[in-house]
Amino acid sequence: MPFKTGIRSAMATVGDVIGWAREQIVSRVPKADLDQRDPDYIRDQLPVTWLLASLYFRADVQHMDRIPAEGPVLLVGNHSGGNVPPDTFVFSLAFCSYFGVERPFYQLAHNLVVSAPPLGWLRKFGTVAANHENAQLALESGAALLVYPGGDYEVFRPSWERHKVDFDGRMGYVRLARDTGVPIVPVASVGGQESALFLNRGQWLAKLLMADKLLRLKSIPISLALPWGLNISDLAGHIPLPTKIAIEVQEPIDVDGDDQAVHDKVMASLQGGVDRLAAQRRFPVIG
Amino acid sequence: MRVERRNIINADRDAVWKIVSDPDTYPSFMTNLERWESANERPAGVGARYFVHWKIGSVPVGGLIEVVEFDDLRDLAWVGITGVNLRGRIRLRDAGEGQTKVTFRLSYQAPGGIWGYIADRVAVRQVGRTTADTLKRLKVLVESRG
Repeated sequence: MPFKTGIRSAMATVGDVIGWAREQIVSRVPKADLDQRDPDYIRDQLPVTWLLASLYFRADVQHMDRIPAEGPVLLVGNHSGGNVPPDTFVFSLAFCSYFGVERPFYQLAHNLVVSAPPLGWLRKFGTVAANHENAQLALESGAALLVYPGGDYEVFRPSWERHKVDFDGRMGYVRLARDTGVPIVPVASVGGQESALFLNRGQWLAKLLMADKLLRLKSIPISLALPWGLNISDLAGHIPLPTKIAIEVQEPIDVDGDDQAVHDKVMASLQGGVDRLAAQRRFPVIG
Repeated sequence: MRVERRNIINADRDAVWKIVSDPDTYPSFMTNLERWESANERPAGVGARYFVHWKIGSVPVGGLIEVVEFDDLRDLAWVGITGVNLRGRIRLRDAGEGQTKVTFRLSYQAPGGIWGYIADRVAVRQVGRTTADTLKRLKVLVESRG
């Protein structure tokens, strides 16, 4: 009997600690403040991002003209590259170059990304914490919003699944588009998952360390990446290999069916784009 | 940075101006042009605005431009309003019997201090090739209509 009581007491203590830690992290996630986006700051950063995108990643972005020229729009992409996703910054550069830094443009990112002090500058680019309220706020303000529904599940998929679009069944973005009455524009990309050798999502490790409950981290990925060699968690990031990034913007999709039907359309469009771009690649990394 | 390329076209100035002064024809001869759209209701001439993007490096570069000079049979010039600082000019001059000398100039300056300067230097070769190829295509277009 005392043994069972002891176990119960220990479980309660662990539960309290998890609750406290979650509260601490959530309280550090900055509230979405769309005014933190700074067009002049973005404009000043465009040359260095253009150099990186053009020389290091040899990026190619096609069909920006398919994005509605004005008004709110939900840009839905497949996500690659771990915690240093080249596709996000290449697409952000393309969007700001094409429509000008004057057009409001926001990106959703994981809580840990927006609350990390060294990454505070991302908020000047328009990066806000990924949740439904922030997303709705951005779209209702008339902005374009870039989301990656696959999130940490997709971004840490093994490199041999690099050409597979996998949102893990997440469809919240369809409801978001429906609630705000905006079209969905799929953005397909390839190359990002070759910036390191991703071996395993490490969902088992996230559960073991309770990171899924503490940090909303469903994965603690395992990869081989520069400069670490064996890289567990990728929390400190990595130096991406100079992989060629190719991005194709696709035709807008209206939200006029049930969630599953719209989601299926988006997935088919994205997978078709990824397959087309993948077929043009001759070698990994080199492109 | 300033890039300038010249070409001699075997046609008189009227024939060249007819194409150069009609922005609707630009997509048919401007190299690496990704976007050329009217941005206001004004007819071709001073005050007309266009969204213009050239594919330079990895992404489309350009922005909103406004025509600031529209001198019949002589000069057409524009300045960038958004995007990189940009000035462009197409200049027509006589080059002998039935020939026209066309000069295409692009001056641009990226923001961002030293990084902007480096980006300008890196881009200059591609901008040079783009302007030279644009003039070659203009020559073919004009002479094929002649």
